[in-house]
Amino acid sequence: MLMFALRRILVSIPVLIGITLILFIMLNVVPGDPIALMMKEHASADVIERVRQQMHLDDPLITRYLSFLWDALHGDLGKSIKLNRPVTDLILKAFPNTLMLAVSAALVSWVVGIPVGILSAVRRDSFLDRFFMGFSLLGVSMPIFWSALLLQYVFAMKLRLLPVSGFYGWQYMILPAIVLGWSSAGVIARLMRSSLLEVMRLDYIRTARAKGLRETGVITRHALKNALIPVVTIMAIQVAGLLSGAVITEAIFSIPGVGRITVNAISSRDMPLLQGAVLFATVLVILGNLVADILYSVLDPRIRAQMRNET
Amino acid sequence: MSKKMKLLLATGLAGLVLASPALAENMLRISYPEDPKTADVQMTTDAYTLPLNIFDRLVESETTGPGQSALVPGLAESWEVSDDGLTYTFHLRAGVRFHDGAELTADDVVYTFDRMLNPATKALNTDILTFIAGSQERLDGTADSVSGLKALDELTVQITLTQPYAAFLALLASPGASVYDRDFTESAGDQFGLTPETTNGTGPFILRDYTLNDSQMLEANEDYWRGRPKLDRLLVRVVADSETLRLLFETDELDVFDLDYAPTQTPYFYGSDQWKEQVRSGPRVGIYYYAINQLKKPFDDARVRKAFQMAIDRQTILDKNFYGKGMLEDGVMPRGLACYTPATPIEYNPARARELLAEAGYPDGVEINLQQVSSWSTKWSDMNQIIQAQVAEAGFKANIVVTDEAAFLAARKTGEAEAYTQVWSADFNDPDNFFYTFFSESGSKVRGYNNNDPEVFAAIETARGMTDQAARCKLYQDLTARIVDTDAAWVPLFSLDHSYVVQARVKNFVVPWNGWSDMSYYKVEVE
Amino acid sequence: MTALPPMPATDAPEALEEASFLRDTLRAFRRNRMAMVGLAFVLLLVLGAILAPWISPHDPYRVELDEQLLAPSTTYWLGTDNFGRDVLTRILYGARISLVVGIVPSLISLMIGTMMGILSGYLGGKTDFVVMRLADMMIAFPSLLLAMVVMYTLGANLLNIFIALALVGWASVARVVRSQTLALREKEFIEAARANGTARTTIMLRHIFPNVVPTLIVLFTLAIPEAIMWESSLSFLGVGVQPPEASWGLLVAKGKEYMFQAPAVAIAPGVAILLTVLAFNFIGDGLRDALDPSMKD
Repeated sequence: MLMFALRRILVSIPVLIGITLILFIMLNVVPGDPIALMMKEHASADVIERVRQQMHLDDPLITRYLSFLWDALHGDLGKSIKLNRPVTDLILKAFPNTLMLAVSAALVSWVVGIPVGILSAVRRDSFLDRFFMGFSLLGVSMPIFWSALLLQYVFAMKLRLLPVSGFYGWQYMILPAIVLGWSSAGVIARLMRSSLLEVMRLDYIRTARAKGLRETGVITRHALKNALIPVVTIMAIQVAGLLSGAVITEAIFSIPGVGRITVNAISSRDMPLLQGAVLFATVLVILGNLVADILYSVLDPRIRAQMRNET
Repeated sequence: MSKKMKLLLATGLAGLVLASPALAENMLRISYPEDPKTADVQMTTDAYTLPLNIFDRLVESETTGPGQSALVPGLAESWEVSDDGLTYTFHLRAGVRFHDGAELTADDVVYTFDRMLNPATKALNTDILTFIAGSQERLDGTADSVSGLKALDELTVQITLTQPYAAFLALLASPGASVYDRDFTESAGDQFGLTPETTNGTGPFILRDYTLNDSQMLEANEDYWRGRPKLDRLLVRVVADSETLRLLFETDELDVFDLDYAPTQTPYFYGSDQWKEQVRSGPRVGIYYYAINQLKKPFDDARVRKAFQMAIDRQTILDKNFYGKGMLEDGVMPRGLACYTPATPIEYNPARARELLAEAGYPDGVEINLQQVSSWSTKWSDMNQIIQAQVAEAGFKANIVVTDEAAFLAARKTGEAEAYTQVWSADFNDPDNFFYTFFSESGSKVRGYNNNDPEVFAAIETARGMTDQAARCKLYQDLTARIVDTDAAWVPLFSLDHSYVVQARVKNFVVPWNGWSDMSYYKVEVE
Repeated sequence: MTALPPMPATDAPEALEEASFLRDTLRAFRRNRMAMVGLAFVLLLVLGAILAPWISPHDPYRVELDEQLLAPSTTYWLGTDNFGRDVLTRILYGARISLVVGIVPSLISLMIGTMMGILSGYLGGKTDFVVMRLADMMIAFPSLLLAMVVMYTLGANLLNIFIALALVGWASVARVVRSQTLALREKEFIEAARANGTARTTIMLRHIFPNVVPTLIVLFTLAIPEAIMWESSLSFLGVGVQPPEASWGLLVAKGKEYMFQAPAVAIAPGVAILLTVLAFNFIGDGLRDALDPSMKD
């Protein structure tokens, strides 16, 4: 078990280094002068040239990459050009907001997705099942920026029950959590349904049924426990996914989180900040996958063998 | 909405203002669309609300009426300018104290300007000081101090210029010339202006709280040398979204609604019985224009440029896209700028424009390119689309060319830029800020005009050093006629008003002379 | 969004079996009501997009400032936008962008992914290691962020959206194809071909590729709605298609400014995205069930 976890972690390291390299190259071969781009119309050519030299932008790419990697290892992601503050500080300050959004969205998706999935599985092929599955497909097919706008229009602009955007208290989290959670509730529901259906085909459930246990008893006492395994493990991946999926949600609801930083960094062409924010999100996703893999192997021993073959 | 719901909402929103003790206090709540990033004005070129309220300048530009201003003494009680226009001697007010209690001295002024020019500071506003003797050497790192900056005694500063520059005082009144305290600023290092603990000025307000991307809270400076401000507190909230802004204002969570941040709400507030009396509006010293590049055919021909001027229905754009809140501009200087007089009106006449095109050898019309930069606000793509449709009537087949900003800037550098539309707002109240930027030898090139008229170049340089203000204004007016009317090198569009809506309890809210969103709140009151 | 589990590979079908396989698939697909509804919608949309200039009496690019933000009427079924342009016409023209963006980058990423997957799975060894680590990296990047970074670097336009989306999509295709190839490699008919001295390229092209085609079809139909979603998101955030083009995401973003006055301008293009994505998802699900009934649930 420990060996498996250790191996998974070791495999992640080269991936991580590769990612920093890809990211660094992509962001540093930007055509044109990043400083000229960053400054507004009123900055003169002299000032642009001076700042450019101060930022060592004329050093060779590889030198800059190595020093970036070295600094990143020490938790130093450079300084934001626009905000003139360390990127690490900015991200760490914004992260709690993003985390809160991701966790409340995840809660929404579980509270909706798990019961819907169970009901659909139990009443397989019924009208209810079809309805729920259609509904969950609807959730996946709805662009986040649009469902957000719709909810803002109805609940904030028309009914004036909830704030449109911003983040100054828990009420501000309601709409964003619903919008973001809704999109992944569908995934959870479908997974829960298929996982439960699969378990119910297994021998021990048949045995339980044959022993005359009532259907609800079979499901709650025996089937659910095992059917939840893949659902639980996907949650780690899901939370990580939500953290990066928060980009659009945060942009629309003006929540000062990592996602909004990313969008702002792009529009103000703040390269160090963009680089730091994307790297941060990517590390979270990798960690999420790692946790999910390890969790899965802990919860379900059968998987361990299979995983060993794949990695 | 039911009463119960309203109550629920109210209790919810009450959580917002917990940070501030009570509304009973004289607190003004304003908003800003993004975080100002710093109070250190040397490190920003666009967010001036904090510096204007936390610091003072040697000279201040005071709003005397709608779109009018006068230079008045600030930290400098008086000053003399030598006859050759090169030496400025400022006598500082005695007994002015910084927020931390330190007294203002001439050395602080010298330090502040030296800090700006010190390459280690990486300041962004250095342009305003480049007329000072020795500034270039300091910027290049070849000198450790600025030869033109001297503290003659505790309260006297002497500044020497390399060449006479008529607008120098106006420059010193711009936000970028805010004065800092040497000891405090040195010890704050690169943290200066980023937190309340590392910010210190002489201004009417003291920075008390700064939460990134959320808000800044300023408190009255009880010992302010001009007397304590009328407000106890000034709360600046970061509100990015225009719908949110409107709801916050309508639920009385904000005192000032800046229509610049939500232009599409203009008809609503102007038309609302509740709000129309509360609108405060003033001219903005800034001009919308279309830049045309004479290196690009067919704009090498003055008749084509003239035709382009006449083919744009500016009044319709102003009325429909900007709700009619502004005025057509026909010159280089917008209303409100020193030396402004109305220029010869440009007529909207597509038929005449078509004739001009025919005279220039394009009887069947001509293709032109309009530059659109993908990262610019949609305001500019909107303008391009409208103008594209309008000029078609005169025979211009306009293609909108979308590139990213990098490609645009690179093209502008090499003189390959296409025609583009933008706005220029006055950094300081002097025509030089417009003429030098666009039509000096360097400006005409880097801004992509290529209006290579040696006489214009020479006249702009001459005007910079002229001390006779009347003659200087006359020269600028003549230049306007030449550039806009004769050469048609510039397509002026219009200047806009800046409108705000304020809650009834806000008194003495005056739109600043330049029409900026950033202003001093020293004189504003709340009942 | 959802990772597709690898399909069990079938043996190389004989000519006769192939025909019946196709017939069975089509029959199963036709019986799926939602898939048929989706197909009908997509066909209508394609027709509408192609015939837009003839169907719509309005010019999508005209500027008529006297008719700004009109309410829906018999002339303008969904009202007009801030330039007085017919919203429905703009949506029809937007369908052109969405369909192209749905298909082109999906095809590119499918081609790259298939090639990489087969090479990786069949050749194994170093090739496999390098390709799969590369795929790991691409998959670890959050897709939207990766696409945004590409747009940041290359600049915002349609061509670069193709590049961004292809870059985002190929890795997961490669993974699925690789695992199928691995399974196929052990099959008797491949072993036989190998024993006969058939060239490696021939085996990969003639024997392995045809067997992953059913999977590719499903992957393709499911990649289309995803690409449409990414494009509209990028355009909404301002790093995608640029005005005056009529991308659906862009229409929502611009309409958002007029939410108080004319909500239909922003809401209608969103409905178009929703219906289109839904339709493609129905087709994709239908195809998956039809091509491989065992994958259901």
